[in-house]
Amino acid sequence: MSASKEEAAAREPATKAELDRAFEDLYRAHLRDVYSYAYYRVGNHHDAEDLTEQAFLQAYRHFERARRESNGRPLRPWLIRIAHNLASNYHRDRARHPQAALDAVEPPSHPYGTEQIVEGREELRAVIDRLDRLPDDRRDALIMRFALGMSNREIARALGRTDGATKVLIHRAIKQLEEELEN
Amino acid sequence: MSERSRLDLEQLLADALRPIEPPDDLATRVESTLTAITEQAAAELSSWAEDMSEWELDALRDPRNWVRPVAAVAAGTLAGGALVVVGMRRRRRPAGIRAAAENVLRQVLPG
Repeated sequence: MSASKEEAAAREPATKAELDRAFEDLYRAHLRDVYSYAYYRVGNHHDAEDLTEQAFLQAYRHFERARRESNGRPLRPWLIRIAHNLASNYHRDRARHPQAALDAVEPPSHPYGTEQIVEGREELRAVIDRLDRLPDDRRDALIMRFALGMSNREIARALGRTDGATKVLIHRAIKQLEEELEN
Repeated sequence: MSERSRLDLEQLLADALRPIEPPDDLATRVESTLTAITEQAAAELSSWAEDMSEWELDALRDPRNWVRPVAAVAAGTLAGGALVVVGMRRRRRPAGIRAAAENVLRQVLPG
Protein backbone atom coordinates (compact mmCIF):
# COMPACT_ATOMS: atom_id res chain seq x y z
CA MET A 1 0.00 0.00 0.00
CA SER A 2 1.38 3.47 -0.89
CA ALA A 3 1.97 6.07 1.83
CA SER A 4 -1.00 8.19 0.73
CA LYS A 5 -3.31 5.16 0.72
CA GLU A 6 -2.02 4.17 4.15
CA GLU A 7 -2.68 7.69 5.39
CA ALA A 8 -6.20 7.61 3.99
CA ALA A 9 -6.83 4.14 5.47
CA ALA A 10 -5.58 5.27 8.85
CA ARG A 11 -7.94 8.25 8.84
CA GLU A 12 -11.02 6.25 7.89
CA PRO A 13 -13.03 4.67 10.69
CA ALA A 14 -12.16 0.97 10.69
CA THR A 15 -14.30 -1.99 11.64
CA LYS A 16 -13.20 -4.19 14.51
CA ALA A 17 -12.09 -6.88 12.04
CA GLU A 18 -10.02 -4.39 10.03
CA LEU A 19 -8.40 -3.08 13.16
CA ASP A 20 -7.59 -6.59 14.34
CA ARG A 21 -6.04 -7.44 10.98
CA ALA A 22 -3.98 -4.24 11.01
CA PHE A 23 -2.86 -4.97 14.54
CA GLU A 24 -1.90 -8.50 13.60
CA ASP A 25 0.26 -7.14 10.76
CA LEU A 26 1.90 -4.70 13.14
CA TYR A 27 2.45 -7.41 15.70
CA ARG A 28 4.02 -9.86 13.25
CA ALA A 29 6.23 -7.17 11.72
CA HIS A 30 7.61 -5.92 15.03
CA LEU A 31 7.55 -8.77 17.51
CA ARG A 32 11.31 -9.23 17.14
CA ASP A 33 11.96 -5.49 17.57
CA VAL A 34 9.95 -5.25 20.76
CA TYR A 35 11.44 -8.45 22.10
CA SER A 36 15.02 -7.41 21.29
CA TYR A 37 14.53 -4.05 22.95
CA ALA A 38 12.93 -5.66 26.00
CA TYR A 39 15.72 -8.21 26.24
CA TYR A 40 18.50 -5.64 26.15
CA ARG A 41 16.68 -3.54 28.74
CA VAL A 42 15.86 -6.26 31.28
CA GLY A 43 18.65 -8.76 30.61
CA ASN A 44 16.80 -12.07 30.67
CA HIS A 45 14.34 -13.94 28.52
CA HIS A 46 11.58 -14.50 31.04
CA ASP A 47 11.05 -10.85 31.87
CA ALA A 48 11.65 -9.87 28.24
CA GLU A 49 8.79 -12.17 27.24
CA ASP A 50 6.51 -10.70 29.90
CA LEU A 51 7.45 -7.17 28.95
CA THR A 52 6.88 -7.89 25.26
CA GLU A 53 3.49 -9.37 25.99
CA GLN A 54 2.50 -6.42 28.12
CA ALA A 55 3.72 -3.97 25.48
CA PHE A 56 1.52 -5.57 22.84
CA LEU A 57 -1.46 -5.65 25.19
CA GLN A 58 -1.09 -1.93 25.83
CA ALA A 59 -0.60 -1.34 22.13
CA TYR A 60 -3.76 -3.29 21.33
CA ARG A 61 -5.72 -1.24 23.82
CA HIS A 62 -4.69 2.06 22.23
CA PHE A 63 -4.19 0.89 18.66
CA GLU A 64 -7.19 2.56 17.06
CA ARG A 65 -6.24 5.98 18.37
CA ALA A 66 -2.55 5.55 17.58
CA ARG A 67 -3.38 4.48 14.05
CA ARG A 68 -5.69 7.43 13.56
CA GLU A 69 -3.19 9.93 14.92
CA SER A 70 -0.20 8.49 13.09
CA ASN A 71 -1.51 9.73 9.72
CA GLY A 72 0.00 6.70 8.04
CA ARG A 73 3.46 7.06 9.62
CA PRO A 74 5.08 3.80 10.79
CA LEU A 75 3.98 2.71 14.24
CA ARG A 76 7.25 1.07 15.27
CA PRO A 77 8.44 4.10 17.29
CA TRP A 78 5.13 4.13 19.15
CA LEU A 79 5.48 0.44 19.96
CA ILE A 80 9.06 0.85 21.13
CA ARG A 81 8.03 3.82 23.23
CA ILE A 82 5.51 1.60 25.01
CA ALA A 83 8.21 -1.02 25.63
CA HIS A 84 10.59 1.74 26.76
CA ASN A 85 8.12 3.03 29.35
CA LEU A 86 7.36 -0.48 30.60
CA ALA A 87 11.08 -1.21 30.94
CA SER A 88 11.54 2.00 32.93
CA ASN A 89 8.69 0.97 35.24
CA TYR A 90 10.25 -2.48 35.57
CA HIS A 91 13.58 -1.02 36.72
CA ARG A 92 11.86 1.45 39.03
CA ASP A 93 9.93 -1.42 40.61
CA ARG A 94 13.08 -3.49 41.00
CA ALA A 95 14.87 -0.58 42.64
CA ARG A 96 12.07 -0.32 45.19
CA HIS A 97 11.85 -4.06 45.81
CA PRO A 98 15.22 -5.60 45.04
CA GLN A 99 15.21 -9.40 44.88
CA ALA A 100 17.91 -11.94 44.28
CA ALA A 101 18.19 -13.71 40.95
CA LEU A 102 16.32 -16.99 40.99
CA ASP A 103 18.10 -19.03 38.38
CA ALA A 104 20.21 -18.87 35.26
CA VAL A 105 18.66 -17.85 31.98
CA GLU A 106 18.79 -19.76 28.76
CA PRO A 107 20.83 -18.16 25.96
CA PRO A 108 19.26 -16.84 22.77
CA SER A 109 19.77 -18.24 19.31
CA HIS A 110 22.81 -16.67 17.67
CA PRO A 111 23.29 -15.95 13.98
CA TYR A 112 27.10 -15.94 14.06
CA GLY A 113 29.67 -18.72 14.28
CA THR A 114 31.71 -19.26 17.44
CA GLU A 115 35.01 -18.66 15.70
CA GLN A 116 33.98 -15.22 14.55
CA ILE A 117 32.88 -14.25 18.03
CA VAL A 118 35.97 -15.52 19.83
CA GLU A 119 38.16 -13.16 17.83
CA GLY A 120 36.38 -10.10 19.15
CA ARG A 121 35.42 -11.47 22.52
CA GLU A 122 37.34 -9.07 24.77
CA GLU A 123 36.50 -6.11 22.61
CA LEU A 124 32.80 -6.92 22.72
CA ARG A 125 32.90 -7.43 26.47
CA ALA A 126 34.56 -4.04 26.88
CA VAL A 127 31.92 -2.37 24.69
CA ILE A 128 29.09 -4.02 26.63
CA ASP A 129 30.66 -3.06 29.93
CA ARG A 130 30.99 0.61 28.94
CA LEU A 131 27.56 0.64 27.33
CA ASP A 132 26.09 -0.45 30.62
CA ARG A 133 27.64 2.57 32.32
CA LEU A 134 26.21 5.15 29.94
CA PRO A 135 23.36 7.40 31.08
CA ASP A 136 20.01 5.69 30.43
CA ASP A 137 18.91 7.87 27.52
CA ARG A 138 22.22 7.42 25.67
CA ARG A 139 22.24 3.66 26.22
CA ASP A 140 18.60 3.29 25.15
CA ALA A 141 19.20 5.31 21.98
CA LEU A 142 22.12 3.04 21.08
CA ILE A 143 20.00 -0.09 21.65
CA MET A 144 17.36 1.34 19.32
CA ARG A 145 19.94 2.27 16.72
CA PHE A 146 22.06 -0.88 16.73
CA ALA A 147 19.81 -3.70 17.93
CA LEU A 148 16.71 -2.50 16.11
CA GLY A 149 18.25 -0.53 13.24
CA MET A 150 16.02 2.47 13.89
CA SER A 151 16.64 5.78 12.13
CA ASN A 152 17.26 9.02 14.03
CA ARG A 153 13.71 10.09 13.26
CA GLU A 154 12.23 6.85 14.62
CA ILE A 155 14.37 7.06 17.76
CA ALA A 156 13.30 10.67 18.22
CA ARG A 157 9.64 9.63 18.12
CA ALA A 158 10.24 6.71 20.46
CA LEU A 159 12.02 8.87 23.01
CA GLY A 160 9.76 11.91 22.59
CA ARG A 161 12.58 14.18 21.43
CA THR A 162 13.26 16.30 18.39
CA ASP A 163 15.24 14.89 15.48
CA GLY A 164 18.08 17.32 16.21
CA ALA A 165 18.23 16.47 19.90
CA THR A 166 18.29 12.77 19.05
CA LYS A 167 21.13 13.20 16.58
CA VAL A 168 23.13 14.99 19.27
CA LEU A 169 22.20 12.32 21.84
CA ILE A 170 23.50 9.50 19.66
CA HIS A 171 26.63 11.41 18.69
CA ARG A 172 27.42 12.07 22.35
CA ALA A 173 26.67 8.48 23.30
CA ILE A 174 29.14 7.13 20.75
CA LYS A 175 31.72 9.76 21.69
CA GLN A 176 31.43 8.95 25.39
CA LEU A 177 31.68 5.26 24.66
CA GLU A 178 34.80 5.76 22.61
CA GLU A 179 36.42 7.93 25.29
CA GLU A 180 35.67 5.37 27.95
CA LEU A 181 37.07 2.57 25.81
CA GLU A 182 40.28 4.57 25.31
CA ASN A 183 40.65 4.97 29.05
CA MET B 1 36.89 11.12 17.07
CA SER B 2 38.22 10.08 13.65
CA GLU B 3 35.83 8.78 11.02
CA ARG B 4 37.67 5.44 11.02
CA SER B 5 37.47 4.88 14.76
CA ARG B 6 33.82 5.90 14.79
CA LEU B 7 33.04 3.36 12.09
CA ASP B 8 34.97 0.68 13.98
CA LEU B 9 33.05 1.44 17.15
CA GLU B 10 29.75 1.40 15.31
CA GLN B 11 30.64 -2.03 13.94
CA LEU B 12 31.49 -3.24 17.43
CA LEU B 13 28.16 -1.92 18.69
CA ALA B 14 26.34 -3.69 15.87
CA ASP B 15 28.11 -6.93 16.87
CA ALA B 16 27.42 -6.47 20.57
CA LEU B 17 23.76 -5.56 20.13
CA ARG B 18 22.45 -8.12 17.68
CA PRO B 19 18.69 -8.47 17.30
CA ILE B 20 17.33 -11.26 19.48
CA GLU B 21 14.87 -13.76 18.02
CA PRO B 22 11.85 -14.20 20.28
CA PRO B 23 11.06 -17.73 21.44
CA ASP B 24 8.69 -19.63 19.16
CA ASP B 25 5.97 -19.88 21.75
CA LEU B 26 5.89 -16.16 22.55
CA ALA B 27 3.72 -15.32 19.53
CA THR B 28 1.21 -17.97 20.53
CA ARG B 29 1.24 -16.76 24.10
CA VAL B 30 0.58 -13.11 23.19
CA GLU B 31 -2.15 -14.05 20.72
CA SER B 32 -3.85 -16.28 23.31
CA THR B 33 -3.78 -13.51 25.90
CA LEU B 34 -5.22 -10.97 23.47
CA THR B 35 -7.95 -13.38 22.44
CA ALA B 36 -8.79 -14.20 26.05
CA ILE B 37 -9.08 -10.54 26.97
CA THR B 38 -11.31 -9.60 24.07
CA GLU B 39 -13.51 -12.67 24.65
CA GLN B 40 -13.75 -11.87 28.34
CA ALA B 41 -14.80 -8.31 27.60
CA ALA B 42 -17.32 -9.49 25.00
CA ALA B 43 -18.75 -12.05 27.43
CA GLU B 44 -19.16 -9.38 30.11
CA LEU B 45 -21.07 -7.20 27.68
CA SER B 46 -23.14 -10.07 26.36
CA SER B 47 -24.29 -11.36 29.76
CA TRP B 48 -25.11 -7.84 30.84
CA ALA B 49 -27.12 -7.15 27.65
CA GLU B 50 -29.14 -10.38 28.03
CA ASP B 51 -30.34 -9.25 31.42
CA MET B 52 -31.72 -5.97 30.14
CA SER B 53 -35.36 -5.12 29.57
CA GLU B 54 -36.64 -3.22 26.52
CA TRP B 55 -36.79 -0.09 28.61
CA GLU B 56 -33.12 -0.47 29.54
CA LEU B 57 -32.13 -1.11 25.92
CA ASP B 58 -33.88 2.10 24.94
CA ALA B 59 -32.13 3.93 27.71
CA LEU B 60 -28.79 2.62 26.48
CA ARG B 61 -29.20 4.58 23.27
CA ASP B 62 -28.65 7.66 25.39
CA PRO B 63 -24.85 8.27 25.56
CA ARG B 64 -25.22 9.34 29.17
CA ASN B 65 -25.87 5.66 29.95
CA TRP B 66 -22.75 4.29 28.30
CA VAL B 67 -20.64 4.24 31.43
CA ARG B 68 -21.55 0.66 32.37
CA PRO B 69 -20.58 -1.12 29.12
CA VAL B 70 -17.41 0.93 28.88
CA ALA B 71 -16.59 -0.02 32.46
CA ALA B 72 -17.15 -3.70 31.60
CA VAL B 73 -14.71 -3.53 28.71
CA ALA B 74 -12.21 -1.65 30.84
CA ALA B 75 -12.55 -4.20 33.63
CA GLY B 76 -11.87 -7.07 31.22
CA THR B 77 -8.87 -5.31 29.78
CA LEU B 78 -7.46 -4.38 33.15
CA ALA B 79 -7.98 -7.89 34.46
CA GLY B 80 -5.91 -9.26 31.61
CA GLY B 81 -3.24 -6.63 32.14
CA ALA B 82 -3.17 -7.39 35.83
CA LEU B 83 -2.55 -11.07 35.14
CA VAL B 84 0.45 -10.12 33.04
CA VAL B 85 1.77 -7.80 35.74
CA VAL B 86 1.39 -10.55 38.31
CA GLY B 87 3.29 -12.87 36.00
CA MET B 88 6.09 -10.35 35.62
CA ARG B 89 6.43 -9.77 39.32
CA ARG B 90 6.37 -13.46 40.11
CA ARG B 91 9.62 -14.14 38.29
CA ARG B 92 12.62 -11.98 39.04
CA ARG B 93 15.75 -12.30 36.97
CA PRO B 94 19.06 -10.45 36.57
CA ALA B 95 18.48 -7.15 34.81
CA GLY B 96 20.20 -4.84 32.41
CA ILE B 97 21.99 -4.68 29.17
CA ARG B 98 25.11 -6.29 30.57
CA ALA B 99 23.18 -9.39 31.65
CA ALA B 100 21.54 -9.53 28.22
CA ALA B 101 24.77 -9.21 26.32
CA GLU B 102 26.59 -11.60 28.63
CA ASN B 103 23.92 -14.17 27.85
CA VAL B 104 24.53 -13.71 24.15
CA LEU B 105 28.27 -14.17 24.60
CA ARG B 106 27.85 -17.10 26.99
CA GLN B 107 25.91 -19.02 24.40
CA VAL B 108 28.70 -19.00 21.85
CA LEU B 109 31.65 -18.78 24.22
CA PRO B 110 31.38 -21.46 26.88
CA GLY B 111 33.77 -20.73 29.72
